[in-house]
Amino acid sequence: MKIDKITLEILKNHSRAAAESMAYTLYRTAHSTFVKETEDFTCGITTPDGETFASPVELGVTWFVGLNYKTVIEMIDEYEEGDICITNDPYSGHVSTHSPDMHCWKPVFFGGELVSFVVGHIHNTDVGGAVPASISRTLSEIHQEGIRIPPTKIVRRGEFNKEVLDIMLTNVRMPEQNWGDLKAQIAAMNTGERRVHEIINKFGVDVFKAGIQDLLSYAEAQARSIILDLPDGNYFFADYMDEDSEDGYPCRLALTLIISGDSITLDFTGSDPQIESSINIPTGGQERHALLMVGVIYILYSLDPKLFLNAGVCRAIGSILPEGTVINPAFPAAVGLRTLSVQRLMGLIFGAFVQAAPEKLPASPASGGPIMNVNTIDNRTGRRVVAAVGPITGGAGGSPLGDGTEGSGANSSFLKNTPVEINEIEVPIKIKRYGLAKDSGGAGKYRGGTAIEMWFEALAPNTRVTARNMDRTRFTSWGVQNGRAGAPSYFLLNPNTNAERNLGNLDFIKIGPGDVVHVASGGAGGWGNPLERDIDAVFQDVKRGFVSQKSALEDYGVVISNESYDLEATEKRRSELMNSSADNDFFDYGVGRVEYEKIWNKANYDTLTKILARIPIHWRFFIKHRIFEMVGNQETLDSGEKISTYFEGLLTEFPQLEETLRKETD
Amino acid sequence: MGFRVGVDIGGTFTDFCVFDESTGALSTLKVLSRPDKPGAEIMTGLTKIAEAYDIEPSSVSYFTHGTTVGVNTVIQRKGVNLCLFTTENFEDVLEVARLRMPDPYDLFSARPEPLVTRDKVFGIKERILSDGSIDTPLELESVRTALTRVKEVGGDAIVVALMHAYRNPEHERYVAEIIRREAPEIKVILASDIWPVVREYERTITAVVAGYVQPQVAYYLSSLQTVLKEAGANVEPMITKSNGGVMTAERGKTDCAQMLLSGTASGVMGASRIAMQTKVPMAMSLDIGGTSADVAIINSGEPQFGTGELIGEFPIYIPSVSVSSIGEGGGSIAWIDEQGVLKVGPESAGSTPGPACYGKGGVNPTITDALVVLGYLGKSELGYSAVQIDSGLAHQAISKLASNLSLTADEVAEAVVRIAVSGMYLEISKLLSRQGLDPRDMSLIAFGGAGPMLAGWVASEFNMKNIIVPTVPGVLSAFGGLIADIKNDFIRTVYLDLTTASVDQIKQGFGTLAREAMSWIREDQGFEGEVLMVPSADMRYRGQSYEIDTQLEASWIESGSIDLMAKAFHELHEKIYEHSDTEAEVQLINLRMVISGKPPKPNFPSLEKPKKNLKAREHIQVYADRSLIKAGVFLRSDLGPGHEIDGPAVVLQQDCTTCILQGYNATVDEFGNLFIQRKDNL
Repeated sequence: MKIDKITLEILKNHSRAAAESMAYTLYRTAHSTFVKETEDFTCGITTPDGETFASPVELGVTWFVGLNYKTVIEMIDEYEEGDICITNDPYSGHVSTHSPDMHCWKPVFFGGELVSFVVGHIHNTDVGGAVPASISRTLSEIHQEGIRIPPTKIVRRGEFNKEVLDIMLTNVRMPEQNWGDLKAQIAAMNTGERRVHEIINKFGVDVFKAGIQDLLSYAEAQARSIILDLPDGNYFFADYMDEDSEDGYPCRLALTLIISGDSITLDFTGSDPQIESSINIPTGGQERHALLMVGVIYILYSLDPKLFLNAGVCRAIGSILPEGTVINPAFPAAVGLRTLSVQRLMGLIFGAFVQAAPEKLPASPASGGPIMNVNTIDNRTGRRVVAAVGPITGGAGGSPLGDGTEGSGANSSFLKNTPVEINEIEVPIKIKRYGLAKDSGGAGKYRGGTAIEMWFEALAPNTRVTARNMDRTRFTSWGVQNGRAGAPSYFLLNPNTNAERNLGNLDFIKIGPGDVVHVASGGAGGWGNPLERDIDAVFQDVKRGFVSQKSALEDYGVVISNESYDLEATEKRRSELMNSSADNDFFDYGVGRVEYEKIWNKANYDTLTKILARIPIHWRFFIKHRIFEMVGNQETLDSGEKISTYFEGLLTEFPQLEETLRKETD
Repeated sequence: MGFRVGVDIGGTFTDFCVFDESTGALSTLKVLSRPDKPGAEIMTGLTKIAEAYDIEPSSVSYFTHGTTVGVNTVIQRKGVNLCLFTTENFEDVLEVARLRMPDPYDLFSARPEPLVTRDKVFGIKERILSDGSIDTPLELESVRTALTRVKEVGGDAIVVALMHAYRNPEHERYVAEIIRREAPEIKVILASDIWPVVREYERTITAVVAGYVQPQVAYYLSSLQTVLKEAGANVEPMITKSNGGVMTAERGKTDCAQMLLSGTASGVMGASRIAMQTKVPMAMSLDIGGTSADVAIINSGEPQFGTGELIGEFPIYIPSVSVSSIGEGGGSIAWIDEQGVLKVGPESAGSTPGPACYGKGGVNPTITDALVVLGYLGKSELGYSAVQIDSGLAHQAISKLASNLSLTADEVAEAVVRIAVSGMYLEISKLLSRQGLDPRDMSLIAFGGAGPMLAGWVASEFNMKNIIVPTVPGVLSAFGGLIADIKNDFIRTVYLDLTTASVDQIKQGFGTLAREAMSWIREDQGFEGEVLMVPSADMRYRGQSYEIDTQLEASWIESGSIDLMAKAFHELHEKIYEHSDTEAEVQLINLRMVISGKPPKPNFPSLEKPKKNLKAREHIQVYADRSLIKAGVFLRSDLGPGHEIDGPAVVLQQDCTTCILQGYNATVDEFGNLFIQRKDNL
C-alpha cells in the first residue's frame, strides 16, 4: 500500500459517496419508467486504465462491479477535458454486453493530467432493430438487435456531437426516451467529475492517484484472503438451459473451478458451441469479463460481506474461455437475451463453489424466472396497453444458515414486483392468484425457497403475452448434501380445463378473452437431508401452505394427521426412508436432468466437446444438432465411442466439412 | 399562567422540557427510562421538576409526550397474537412483500419473518375489482371458517385487508361486522380505515404493524393518563405523531399507526422551529445518540414528509417526517480488519455496556472514548450524573488499537473520529444526492447527546455554511412536542386522468376529505381554534410508477382549474427530476388533505444582552492535527447574546457537550442559539 491505511478508509468512504451520488443523480433525472422501475443501470469511477475502484451498492444492477473499461478507453485516440464517450456495441471492446446497454465514460483531468474516468450505463427500453425493445430470443445476428454505436465521442470538449446523436435517435422507436435517459447519464458523468475533483482537493492529487490503486489492492487482498480459506482443488460442474433454439436441444454450460492458494481459475471448456438464438454471452474472451465475475463476486461477498466491491476483487480470478462457445461467441452472434444465460452462468459458478465449501454455501437459487409482459387493448378505454406485469421469480437455495427465502432472493434480490392492484388498474387483465407455489421449494434439512406463481385472465381478444427468460421447465435448480432439487417452472394455458395446454418454454403466446394463463418460476434447491429437518419446521411448513401433507410424508417422513404430527409414526417412517435411500450423491439434479444424463452423460459430452472444438465455429451448432438427432433417446452406456462413430458418419455425409478440416491440418 | 411540559422517552433517558408561560424560560431534565415500568419515569420526572423548579403538577396546563413503546413492541416482537384476513388466493402478501431484498449482493440476504406468519393468514372468498365493483360477493361461510381458525390459533386481533378495499370498503366492513357479532372479544382492524390507499402490500403491512402494537400502545397511554391524574396534573396528554403533529392520547389508543415515529419526528420539528427562528433557508438536522445518527432536511423551516419509513424492519406507509437513520453513534465500536485497516461500526456498545469510559463493563473502544482521549470529553458529567466518565478506561480501550496500528493513542483517537465522520459523510451524501442538494448552502442543526459533539467534524467534511446548537440540544424532541400542531392526514385513492371530465370527482373527493378532517379536529380532538387545511394530490405522468405529492390551492379545486393543477405538477416534477413534459398526460392517483390546528404556542422572547464579558471557566488541552492545543471550557449558562468563543473550545451544559474545533468561531444569537462557523468564512 502506498498511502496510510487510515487515509485509505476515509478515501474509500469518499469514493463510494461519489459513486453513489452519480447513481442517485442518474436515477433521479432518468426519463424512462423502465430505468426507474428496474434500476437497470450502473455507475462507477475507474483508474486511468479503466479499472473500477468505486461503484454504488445502493442503487443499480449488481452485475458490473468488475467492469473494466480499458478496451473501449483505448479505442478513442485522445481525450480532452469535457469529452464524453459512448458505445453500446457488444463487439467493440465487450464493455456493453447487449445493444440496449448504452455505456458512457468521461475522462477526469486535474491540472491537465488525466487522473480517472467516470463511467456508467443505462438499459434503453429500445435501440431499434427487428423487434420492439430490441431483444428477442429468436434473433440470431447482432445486426437484428438495433443500432450499434462503436466507441464515439458524443460530447467533445463540452459540445454535443449532433450528427451521431441524430443517427442514433433516428434509428430507435422512442427517441425522446433515449434522449432523456442519455441526458441523465451525462448529468451523472458531470456529477462524478465534480465529486472526483472534490476528493482530489481534499486529499491532494498524489494521494488520490496512489490511493485509488490502493483501493484496488485492498479489495484484491480481501478477496484473496477469502479464497485462501477455501480448500485447493478442481471442482467440476455443469448446468443446462432447456433449449438452444425453439424446440431445440439443451444448451450446456460447463466449468472446472480451480482453486489454488489465493487464486481462482474458471475453465469453461466443455460449454456448448455458440447458438443460433440471442442467449450467447459476449465476453470477448476476456478472462475477467464482468459477466463472468458476477457469480464469483456473489460468492466472495456472501462468504464475507465486509468485502469492498471493486474490480480489485477480479485480480484474483482468471478464466479459460474456448472461442466460438456460448460463453465466448464469435461475431456476429446475437446476445440480446444474455440475461437468461448469465443467470445460468451464475448458478454454474455457485455449483462449483458449493463443492469447495458445502458447509458455508447455499444450494441453487431459482435463478431468474420469466418476466411477463402484456400487449392488448383495454376494453374500458379502447387504448392499447403495453405493460410489464412483473417478474415471476423463485426463492433462494437452502443453506447451512437456514431455509432459502420465499419467492425471491439470492441473485435475483434486486428485482421488484408490481402490486396486483396497480396491474389491474393499468393492464386489462384480472389476476386470479398471486403468491407462493406449494411444494416448489426443494426439500432439505434447510428447504429451498418457494417459487412465485401467478394466474391471470385476459379480457380482450388478441392479447399478446410475453414470458421473457422462460426456462427451467426441464432442468431445475439443484439441491446439495442430500437436499432435493426445486420444482420446475411452468407456463400453462387454461389450466384444469379440457383446453389445458402446456406451453413449456414458449416465450410468446396470443390469447383471447376468458383465457387463463398460469405461470410459475422454478423453486430453489434444498440443503441437507430432508429426513433430518426439524419435525416442527416441517409441520409449520404444512400449516403455512409451503409444503403439502403428502410431501411432508413422502419427502420429509413426517406423519401429520388431525392438525398435529405423530412423533412415533414419524420416527418410524424416517428410519424406514433412511434405510431405503441408497442415493448419497452430493447433488440432486431433479428428474429432468437425471433422465437426460442417462443419455448425455459426461463421457459423451467430453467426446462431443473434443469433436466440436476441432471443427470451424460456423459448423458447430449444425453438427451438434445432427449428432443429437442421431443419438435421439438411446441410453448410451459406452464412454463416447458412439458419438465418435456418428461424427465419422457426418464427415462422410458432408465432404465440405472434411475438406475444411483437411485444409486446416495442412 | 402555568407550565407546559414536553416529555420524550428514549431507550436510555427520558427527556423533559418545561416552558414557563409567565417568564418564557425553558428548563430541562433527564431521568433514566424505566422500560420495566412504563409511566414510572414520568412520575419521577414530575417529582424532580417540582423539587428543582418549584412547579406543582397542578399548574401544568399542557402536556405533550413522545414514546417509543410502539417501535419497541415491533423490535422485541412482543405484540399481540395477530391474524390476517386477505382475499382468497392472495394470502402470501406479507411473505412476498415487494420481492426486493435488503442487500442484493448477499446470497443470504433475507426479509424478516412476517409479524403475522402464513399459518395465521386466512383467505376470504370475495373479490372487488379495481373500479370498486363486486366481482365475487362476500361468502359468509368463508368468514366463519376463518374465524374458527383464528380461535384455534388463539388470535387476539384480526387485520382485514382485502383487494381494492381502498376503493370499496364494503366487504371489509361486512367482515368486521360479522367478527364483532360472533367474536366480540377479538379486536378488528380494517386496512381501509388505517390508510385507504392503493397497493396491497403497503396498505396491508401498515395495518398489520398498527394492529400488532395496538394493545401495548393503548395500555401504555392509559397508564400515562392515570399517572398524570395521580400526580395531580389535570390535563389530557397530547401524543406526538410521526407527521410532526400531536393528537390526544385517547385518539392515540386507536390510531397507533400514526405515532410510531413520534420521537424522531418531534426532534426534527424542534429543529425546524430553530431553523425558522434563526431564519435559515436550508438546514440539515443531525441528531446523534448512542447507536445512531438521524438526519433530516429542513427547507425554510419546513421538514420534508414521506412514506415508507421503517418501524424496526417493516415499512409503514403513513405520512411521516422524513428522517434517514445512520447506524453510527457515540457508542459505535472501532476495530481493525484483516488487512490492518481501521474501521468504525456498525457494531455499537449501545447504552449497556456503553463506551469503555462509562465504566459499566464496556471494553471496546468507541467514538465517545476517542473524544475523551482527545480531551474534549470527561470534563463534565454526562447525562445528569447518570454516567461518570472514566478517562483512564477510555485510554485503555483506545491504546489497544494504538499498539496494533503502531500509532499513539492520540493519533488513533483522531483517526477514529475522522473515519467515523467519513462513514456519516457517505450516508448523508446519499441523502443529499437523492435530492440534488448542495451541502455548502446548508446550516447544520445539531442535537441529541452526541450531535453537538461531532457536528464540527461533520460540517467540515461537507464544507457546510455553519452549525447551530439550540439552547436545549439534549432534549430537543421533548421541546419539539411542545411546539407541535394538532395535525392529521386524510387520503383517498381516485386514480383519475387529470382532465376536465374528472373535475366533479376531484371536487367531490376533496369535499369528503375536508368534512372528515373538520370532524376529526372539532369533534374528536375538541379543538376550537383556527384551522389550516392543505389539499394536495399524488400525481404522475401516465406510464410512471411513482407519484409526487403536489400541493394544490383550494381555489383551483373550487373553480375546477385543471390547468393550474397540471402546471403545479409539471413545475414540481421539473424541480425534483430536472425535466418535465407539459404535453404528456397527467394522472391523479390519491387526493390528500392535511389539517392542522395551532394550540397556543410558547412565545420565546429575545434574551437580554449579558452585562458581563464571557470568560472561560478553565482551560484544557485537546489534541488536534497532531499537536496538543489549549482550549477554553465554557458553561452554556454563562453564554448570552453577542458572546463569542474562539475554537478550540468546549461548551458544557447539563444535557450535552458542544465541541468547537480549531479554526472555528462561535457566536450567540438573540435567542441563545450557538452559531459555529469557520473563521476563514467570516
